[in-house]
Amino acid sequence: MPTETATPVIELRHVDKHYGPLHVLQDINLSVAKGEVLVVIGPSGSGKSTMCRTINRLETIDSGEILIEGQLLPQEGKELAALRAKVGMVFQSFNLFAHKTILENVTMGPIEVLHTPKAQAEAEAMELLRRVGVDTQAAKVPAQLSGGQQQRVAIARSLAMHPTAMLFDEPTSALDPEMINEVLEVMVELAQQGMTMVVVTHEMNFARRVANRVVFMADGQIVEQNTPDEFFDHPQSQRAKDFLDSIKGH
Amino acid sequence: MSANVSMRDALYEAPGPKTRRRVAIGTGVSLVLLVALIAFVIRQFYINDQLNPKYWSFFTRWTTWRFLLRGMFGTIKVALMAGVIAMALGLLLMLGRISPNKALSAACHVAIDLFRSLPSLLLIYFFFLVIPKYGIKMPAFWMITVPVALAASGVLAEVFRAGVNAVPKGQTEAAMALGMTHGKITRKIVLPQALKIVIPSLVSQLVVVVKDTTVAYVVSYPDLMQNARVLISNYDALVSMYFVVALIYIAINYATNQFSIYLAHRQGTQVISRTSENPI
Repeated sequence: MPTETATPVIELRHVDKHYGPLHVLQDINLSVAKGEVLVVIGPSGSGKSTMCRTINRLETIDSGEILIEGQLLPQEGKELAALRAKVGMVFQSFNLFAHKTILENVTMGPIEVLHTPKAQAEAEAMELLRRVGVDTQAAKVPAQLSGGQQQRVAIARSLAMHPTAMLFDEPTSALDPEMINEVLEVMVELAQQGMTMVVVTHEMNFARRVANRVVFMADGQIVEQNTPDEFFDHPQSQRAKDFLDSIKGH
Repeated sequence: MSANVSMRDALYEAPGPKTRRRVAIGTGVSLVLLVALIAFVIRQFYINDQLNPKYWSFFTRWTTWRFLLRGMFGTIKVALMAGVIAMALGLLLMLGRISPNKALSAACHVAIDLFRSLPSLLLIYFFFLVIPKYGIKMPAFWMITVPVALAASGVLAEVFRAGVNAVPKGQTEAAMALGMTHGKITRKIVLPQALKIVIPSLVSQLVVVVKDTTVAYVVSYPDLMQNARVLISNYDALVSMYFVVALIYIAINYATNQFSIYLAHRQGTQVISRTSENPI
């Protein structure tokens, strides 16, 4: 079990955000320790994706502070780019670079941002692609791959930056059912290797299996957080109970 | 799969028996009207003595064609040069406009709107009549090419911008998440994809450039139109000459359009794959 004595890898302090009259993030306080796997669940529109995206400032915030390894998230420019480089992100819609091959997708970050020599970047990329099981597809373009394969490439692309933490914004929500597991397997493996992860997901089995902590969000607030077993078996709030009841049907 | 067919499939449902009959009747009626119209035109030509061989016989002489072809190459030279300049300038204006630098963006916005709204003839007069007053002498070729290029650059900047906007936002976000800076994202991720999308539209914009070059006579540049005017005054053959020149312009622009359709077709697979990759 990770401890919280050291500096948290990710910390949100009193974060607020509005979309017009909509208060989408309300006084969010959260800290993620090194090696911790945090799963964020909640009904759609609860602000869980928005919160995930504020961590590398793909969404701006109105007030509050976000710290990565104790360092305040810069608001713009090279400093922001440098900090983003340390936080991997996996999107719901994969977002692989459509005009690049699979290999180029994975080497893009190391070559352009870390200035890794091309040969070394390619060797590392091939190793990562092997790890996620798509090394045979290296020369293809994203559109030639299945959704599950694309998402695994997206994970490899993030890993190529040697991130200190990874954000997963509903990584399996756009996938056909038969492809969800191949992506989850990769994520489970990452978690077991000690990657610090924030995962927004609807995959409750994944949460139960690998999360150290489950955060339940509703209406822009963190309603409750607990270990997965405690949360799923003994939810405290009425809203969490309702939410869990509503998804039990499947 | 042709782009035309898929577009038609997307916009119209397959015709049923009644519609097919209506379409058949419509086709028949339009054919009859078309033949009648052509007959009427020929009759008018005949009545006004425009079919008289003296208006057409000089087309059998090579010198006539050589002069017209020279004009045509003049037109193509101006159109190509103006097209290249307009594309480069349009791209720069667009990059300035999407830049995070507010002052640069505003300046480029103004320039784009200015070039887009000024008639090219007015720009030509500016280069032909105003600029020489300040002691700047330009050859006729540049006096027609530069204003035509400027006028087109504003439109092309907007075409480029449409292409940039058509690149899914997720591509930029993924690049940002990797820690790439704005300039790098534009160069490595957005532009290559945007250019692919807009190349067919850019080429078809060349048609407008070709048509703009017809005012070259203002600066006495020997383009197709100017040379045609010379022949008209030599042979006193207005209608037949403009008729042939119109055919040549149609041929040039038809070829340009075919080229852009070819380019669009060649990239069809990539365009389709791009959307299927980002299903939202």
